[in-house]
Amino acid sequence: MRINTAIRYVSGITVLGSALLMGQVQANEDTECIAPAKPGGGYDLTCRLAANALLETGLIDKPMMVSYMPGGIGAVAYNHVIGVRNDDPNLIVAASTGAAVNLALGKFGQYDADEVRWLGALGADYGAIVVNDDAPWQNLDQLMEDLQTQPGEIVFGAGGTVGSQDWMKAALTAKAVDISPRDLRYVAFEGGGESLAALLGDHIQVFTGDMSELRPHLESGTVRVLASLSEERLGGPYADIPTAAEQGYDVQWPIWRGYYMGPDVSDEAYQAWVDKLETLSEEEAFAELRDARGLFPMSRFGDDFDGYVKDQVTQFKQLAEEVGLTQ
Amino acid sequence: MKIAADRVLGFALIGLAAFFAVQAANLHIPISYEPVGPKAFPIVLSIVLALLSLVLVFRPGENGHFPDKALIVKLLAVLGVLVIYALLFTQLGFIITTFFAVLALTKLFEATWRKALIASVVMAVGSYYLFTQGLGISLPSGYWLADFI
Amino acid sequence: MFDFLIDGFGVALTPLNLGLAFLGAMLGTLFGALPGIGPINGIAILMPLAYTLGLPAESALILLAGIYTGSEYGGRMSSILLNVPGDAGAVMTTLDGYPMAKKGLAGPALGLSAVSSFVGATIAIIGLTLFAPLLARVAVMFGPAEFFALMVFAFASMAVMMGKDPIKTGIGAVLGVMIAMVGVDSGTGVLRYTFGMAELYDGIDFVVMIIGLFAISEILLMLEHANRPSNESDEMPPLGRVMVSLKEVLHCKWTMLRCGLIGFIVGVLPGTGASVAGAVAYTTEKRISDKDGTFGTGNMRGLAAPESANNAAAAGSFVPMLTLGIPGSGTTAVLLGALMLYNITPGPLLFTERPEVAGGLIASLYVGNIMLLALNLPLAGVFARVLTIPRWVLVPAIAILAFIGVYQLHSDLMAIYLMLIIGVFGYLLRKLGFSLAPVILGYVLGGLMEDNLRRALSISGGDTGILWQSGISLGLWIAAAALLILPWLVPKLLPSNSTEKNKQGA
Repeated sequence: MRINTAIRYVSGITVLGSALLMGQVQANEDTECIAPAKPGGGYDLTCRLAANALLETGLIDKPMMVSYMPGGIGAVAYNHVIGVRNDDPNLIVAASTGAAVNLALGKFGQYDADEVRWLGALGADYGAIVVNDDAPWQNLDQLMEDLQTQPGEIVFGAGGTVGSQDWMKAALTAKAVDISPRDLRYVAFEGGGESLAALLGDHIQVFTGDMSELRPHLESGTVRVLASLSEERLGGPYADIPTAAEQGYDVQWPIWRGYYMGPDVSDEAYQAWVDKLETLSEEEAFAELRDARGLFPMSRFGDDFDGYVKDQVTQFKQLAEEVGLTQ
Repeated sequence: MKIAADRVLGFALIGLAAFFAVQAANLHIPISYEPVGPKAFPIVLSIVLALLSLVLVFRPGENGHFPDKALIVKLLAVLGVLVIYALLFTQLGFIITTFFAVLALTKLFEATWRKALIASVVMAVGSYYLFTQGLGISLPSGYWLADFI
Repeated sequence: MFDFLIDGFGVALTPLNLGLAFLGAMLGTLFGALPGIGPINGIAILMPLAYTLGLPAESALILLAGIYTGSEYGGRMSSILLNVPGDAGAVMTTLDGYPMAKKGLAGPALGLSAVSSFVGATIAIIGLTLFAPLLARVAVMFGPAEFFALMVFAFASMAVMMGKDPIKTGIGAVLGVMIAMVGVDSGTGVLRYTFGMAELYDGIDFVVMIIGLFAISEILLMLEHANRPSNESDEMPPLGRVMVSLKEVLHCKWTMLRCGLIGFIVGVLPGTGASVAGAVAYTTEKRISDKDGTFGTGNMRGLAAPESANNAAAAGSFVPMLTLGIPGSGTTAVLLGALMLYNITPGPLLFTERPEVAGGLIASLYVGNIMLLALNLPLAGVFARVLTIPRWVLVPAIAILAFIGVYQLHSDLMAIYLMLIIGVFGYLLRKLGFSLAPVILGYVLGGLMEDNLRRALSISGGDTGILWQSGISLGLWIAAAALLILPWLVPKLLPSNSTEKNKQGA
């Protein structure tokens, strides 16, 4: 009996030990992408894009693990990477324009944009100014005219709170005709879906959303996109939508989707990732995967991207000060 | 002593209400598009909570039975196990922490050593493989071995 | 007119798709039954898999929809057996499900809730088939003002929860609303009650909340029961009979139908999901049929109500997704993402342009629902045996599931600490004679109430008239007022009512 029990314990511990070892070996090879949000959102999509595309093009051998770390619109993951996994060569974290906005507003705690290594962006989405199909405005000019004469009569809505990237689109639109963002009427919803529903139900008049989430609605003609907030006209189903700039308003809002790494990652590991992403962005197969996720081409990597993000944060800081958002 | 519980609770909740209201009142709001703002709701809630708690202070309900000393020690022990489990969860990895946590919990719930050890091994290893391999959920494998390899 | 459905059944009944629907139902039940791992995670995890396997669009969607509806079935299991909600929609299921299990009626409770789920889902799927485009138009009429009125109605119907200790019910609800205030204020972006902790910016997560409040506090309570001297009978609750009887099912038939309808309507509205549906259905049903005050002590109707409603809500949330391209819940948002991957654009054109997708999905919901019933009824007896597992196995198992559930969602220890703190809080509340249901209800409804009130007022520029301008909101206000006034009024008008009540209670 005793011996039996002893054997059982020993075998149990052996199983345990070998299981641990196996887990560890796996962990060393595995690449990981942290989506700093709950499953299903834009960050999840950003991670999945890298994970699927890298695997499909053979740039990584084993599936990349995607884990979720919601909290503070990315702040929790940002702090985690700086504080805990600061030198993990296999870890990338999804980020977007929203993260830059929050960095600018100081919502990421004591850290600023210099704390991590910005890796690159694989795609972008663009802001859009959308009205209901039966709205009186046929183009951006008409809307802007009305906005100038009676800013308090037009209700803007979007999926983010004051200071979020969704709000920024509305604020910049107002600023383009010298209306203070404070004089707007703006309603913050929980995500783009709810805002779109409110637009369709005529509860709000203008929705400042993102192009990719509008794709289902372009064909059916339930909404009218007055302007795309991109540098140039977008292709495909969006080709008929004029940019704000070509209608004479200097409003641009690209939403890049990219990645960063911990601050103490070695230069070799960093450069290896930069090369990987750069190679990926040139693959034919990648373009398809990116298009399927409703993203537009954007390729910025390494130092170029690093500078881009930091410039953007500085810009946003200025903007936030202008409208009195900084505390 | 008998009626104390609800009274103590009442006073504690009034304290909480006051804290909640003061915090709300001190909020700094750069831009707000409506008259209610982020302060009103919490302040109204604090007032309602304070009023309800006041009723509790003056008309406390009957006491439930409360844990005796031995039980409190055990409660704290279970909590302690859970906190330590959490503390070491990512450091030591899922399997090893789960093994010890299950061992401690089964012992606290008065299993024999044999049963406890079997349960610990089965649960730690079994759930690890069920969730990572079967359901594709990632669990911490631990950093501790990395230093040796 | 229903050509798409006939085509759809042609698609759904192919062996591959039948197999996928079955797989989805199985996995969904499992995901739902595990606390903290709900439909969103299940779908998010399996979506890339479906895509890499190269499944055609309609097959992938059938698999994912099976997981979604399956997890609403599965969520009830741990609610009934462990008093720990398996997912958001199953919170109200604990109220009468767990007491039933304690009385030795775990088998019938599981069986009855499976039937209720089936009835609720069937009502919703029929509603989806017949009225989807029409309902989509009604759904967008719900703006912030209407949602606010709906929340007022929900709180008014919550007054019935006041039960034996109205003060503590009230305090519980207020505490729940207070917890919902933590995090970034959605109107102004101001941080409330975060004390500088980034982990709290997004508020206290629903999963952390229910796992802490229910699972952790349950572990602590179990310790107490284990320590009582007379724990012999307590250790092994009688298993009792395993199957629900036809009589019991028929006893609840109106409850199921009513709550299925309520759940469907709430599910169709964008922004409210299974948790709100369960809450509204339970409180409404208590108002209607709790003549003898046994709701909350193991009343069969109290169990049937939320289960019928949360499954109906799950199917209902397909309405705005399929017809408008608007996700009505987090889960349908993920499904919408899946559709986009296949280059399918949901919206009014879906039914004409891709009938095999729309029809196949709806047909597979019918098929999947029948499968789920067939799967869940016989399993009721098996799962009821969970109760005979000794505590020294059950407690660590709950602890592991709680940790995994929270960790896989947050990858962050702070969330686990928070869960433990909330667990102690929940334990203290329960020891002090509070019921947890008002806390959860306050938490779910309170945030929605504040947000929508303030949204409505920013739309109107501060004019409170907007709150009762539309017919819908006016109707809801009147219904809310009626809920509060009628209970006082009716007995006065009908003095003989009390004898009637006693008869029904017997």
